[in-house]
Amino acid sequence: MRWRYILNIIGILIFFFGLTMILPLLVGLYYQDSSIIPFLKSIGMTVVGGLILYLIFKSGKAEVISQREGMAIVAVGWTAVGLFGALPFYFGSGFNSFVDAAFESVSGFTTTGASILTNVETISKGLLFWRSFIQWLGGMGIIVLSVAILPFLGVGGMQLYKAEVPSPVPDKLKPRIRDTAMILWKVYALISVLETILLMFGGMSLYDALCHTFTTMPTGGFSTKTASIAHYNSVYFDCVFISFMLLAGINFSLHYQLLRGKPLIFWQDSECRFFLGTVLLLTVVVSLDVYGSVYETIGAALRYGAFQVVSIISTTGYATADYEKWPAMSQFILLLCMFIGASAGSTGGGMKCLRIMLCFKYCYRELFSLIHPHAVTQIKIGGKAVPDDVMRSIVGFLALYMGLFALSAVILAGMGVDFRTSFAAVAASIGNIGPGFGLVGPAGNYAQIPFLGKWLLIWCMLLGRLEIFTIIILVVPEFWRK
Amino acid sequence: MKIIIVGAGEVGFHIASHLALENKDVVVIDKNPEAIRRVSDNLDVQAVIGSGSSPVILEEAGIQNAEIILAVTNRDETNLVACLMANILSPSTKKLARLRDADFDAYHDNFSEHAPHIDTIINPEIEVVRTIYRMMSIPGAVDVGEFADGRIKFVGVNLEDESRLAGAKLSDLPGIIGKARALIAAVIRKDELIIPRGNDRLESGDLIYFITEDDKLLDTLSLFNKYDQPVKRALIVGGGRIGFRLASLMEEKSIYCKIIEKNADRCAYLADRLNKTIVLHGDGSDQELLAEENIQDMDVVITLTKDEETNILASLLAKRMGARNSITRISKFSYFPLMDAIGIEQVVSPRLSAVNTILQHIRRGKVLSAISIKGEQAELIEAVALETSGIVSKPLRQLSFPKGAMVAGIIHKDDIIIPTGDSVIQPDDRVIIFSRREAIPKIEKILAVKLEYF
Repeated sequence: MRWRYILNIIGILIFFFGLTMILPLLVGLYYQDSSIIPFLKSIGMTVVGGLILYLIFKSGKAEVISQREGMAIVAVGWTAVGLFGALPFYFGSGFNSFVDAAFESVSGFTTTGASILTNVETISKGLLFWRSFIQWLGGMGIIVLSVAILPFLGVGGMQLYKAEVPSPVPDKLKPRIRDTAMILWKVYALISVLETILLMFGGMSLYDALCHTFTTMPTGGFSTKTASIAHYNSVYFDCVFISFMLLAGINFSLHYQLLRGKPLIFWQDSECRFFLGTVLLLTVVVSLDVYGSVYETIGAALRYGAFQVVSIISTTGYATADYEKWPAMSQFILLLCMFIGASAGSTGGGMKCLRIMLCFKYCYRELFSLIHPHAVTQIKIGGKAVPDDVMRSIVGFLALYMGLFALSAVILAGMGVDFRTSFAAVAASIGNIGPGFGLVGPAGNYAQIPFLGKWLLIWCMLLGRLEIFTIIILVVPEFWRK
Repeated sequence: MKIIIVGAGEVGFHIASHLALENKDVVVIDKNPEAIRRVSDNLDVQAVIGSGSSPVILEEAGIQNAEIILAVTNRDETNLVACLMANILSPSTKKLARLRDADFDAYHDNFSEHAPHIDTIINPEIEVVRTIYRMMSIPGAVDVGEFADGRIKFVGVNLEDESRLAGAKLSDLPGIIGKARALIAAVIRKDELIIPRGNDRLESGDLIYFITEDDKLLDTLSLFNKYDQPVKRALIVGGGRIGFRLASLMEEKSIYCKIIEKNADRCAYLADRLNKTIVLHGDGSDQELLAEENIQDMDVVITLTKDEETNILASLLAKRMGARNSITRISKFSYFPLMDAIGIEQVVSPRLSAVNTILQHIRRGKVLSAISIKGEQAELIEAVALETSGIVSKPLRQLSFPKGAMVAGIIHKDDIIIPTGDSVIQPDDRVIIFSRREAIPKIEKILAVKLEYF
């Protein structure tokens, strides 16, 4: 581990990250609100901080980054960016302590969307824009963005990319990682533009449309309204949001192939089929469950049922209804959705459909081999056998995910948080969803979680966003051994 | 520029890594998941598992928009079929195949005219044998390359304490060198490549690369205290393909040659094919055998078995027992830095030869040859300067050449010019450019875009 080199790279990342704060500063200047001074302070501190790191550790350029170093750069880089991103909140009004600002910032970058704000509308427009914008940056990944546009990462970019996008079955769209990263960002930006236009078409102001696009596409879930999407109470907006949450929950390399002229790709891809099928099935079940008990008409039941299912399974976390008041079965299904999550290679979180699907197939194979002890079977996906080591890493991932979830929930409950809240808060943080149940339900927020509990959840969000391994590896002693 | 490489073995992996570092789009195909994993874990290239001779896999790899396909698996047949399929799927793709069987030697040109339309057949073994022969004939050379049909030599030599050049400033060299006209292109000091400037000093222990005309070579080498000692007797350890080819060449050049091979069947094959060479059945690291065969009188011992550790030991042993020189075959690049320390000077690598041979066919523009120097930190490119180019008809000092690159030689008709700042490149001259790896894409651009559109 060459720490000088790692810190040098992180210095560069922080420096460029500081420059992205210019955008919300411009928004603040446009609206002449109270966010101008906080942003100027934050830009100064971030840019100078980055430069200092860069200059202190400016040693001989190493060309090749090892896998271990790649993980360290990504894990430390995300933590650093999360903390520096908290500065505008900390200097601005509405946040009482640094932990609150850090919680909001990390929740943004990891596209969780969990908030400590009780009244969003009191916050200045510049800050709210920043809050949405960091979700958009974090959605496709800050490292992927850096790999795409910063030339100096060219060679080591691959290790960083693998650490940030640890898809179970990696797919490279182009031979070179830089081109792949570039394509993903272009597709991401293109769909974002489309959503902004559609939202403005429905009557949203450019500001609100942008802020909401910035949180739909990364499946983030921050809204500029306290009541989230329920504020608008419009069928048109609900439909637009449902569609784009679904798009954001689908593997982005499929979008690229769709644009390259393969119209049936969503159907041909087995994971996408599984994702859409699950959404459809759960929507029907939830809608039937809430029909009559909560909503009078089947139309309303379908509208709110579909929105909530898509919002949670894509790990966005928008709300149009207070599902705390729904029947127990629907609540349970939504809880399950938090664990399932979106597709691999999408901006969504959770365990990812691909892993769940392979896990099912794995279980089936075990049963099958009990019936036919001599049968030679292979787990296949899209007609191709999945190598054993991929299967092993998936099983390892699922076990770690559940284990860390359980451990964190127990610790949070130990801090005095009630059963329902601690269970859901950890599930919603590690799955990058946002709203959970109990105190942190769609109508509540995370303000009342105790001080240490917030740090615990911050850690859970980072765990979930970088898919466990990249973060958890930092606490394995073997990682630090020379 | 997209390049498909079939076969992720040593050569395939190496070329892929070389090209990926130059920011080319590389796709590697191999059947073996282990080999593919090594590629995708270490290199920024796309890796496809499957047979390179399968049309489905080739399409998946994107043969249609590939500029070049390199078939470099271990099996000649697979390489041929891969090129055949590539020819059907995408006739415009340039095809290169590695065919190692000596039986194909006479038919290389036929392939480009007939069905698979393979543009170039590569047999690195031929190149290795040539390199070994050059090393034998140039005393003290660690690395040898040729340009302009052998009239310009590019030689790497270790600078020793006794040499007059040790400690000399580069700007003082003309006075020391005198009649030998040599250009020092690069210095490798502690594994670091340096392009020396006027104020830099040469230090003993440096590996010095210089370019010189063929007839001035011996004069130049004498500056390094290396003198010509003709090779009359040679011992080859390892009778594989390269050993066999080398022995045949020795017979042609009337060098008295012995060859030691472990495998009895192979010995029989060699004895059958070779006439003057003495074929010995035994182990190259067996002291008694070596003593029995008068190792102390050998001018050179060449160790060529597949096992590089055996080669190293056999070379060391032979030198200790009195052989004048040794040339060792080594494949792992990571061993190169060690060689000096353990006292092995001359090393050949079939891999490096393969990379060099293939490189010249991949370079854009009218590139005649390309040689990458040890450790692959830099490359020498020989190309034709066309009239449309920005580099002709101007003194060199006025050219805006990329950093880390320089013109190392100009061949004007029959004259060879070792350039100074005032030299001018005429249209249709051949130029030899020395370039660090980082500058190669820019050099390619200068050679391809400005010079000529294909």
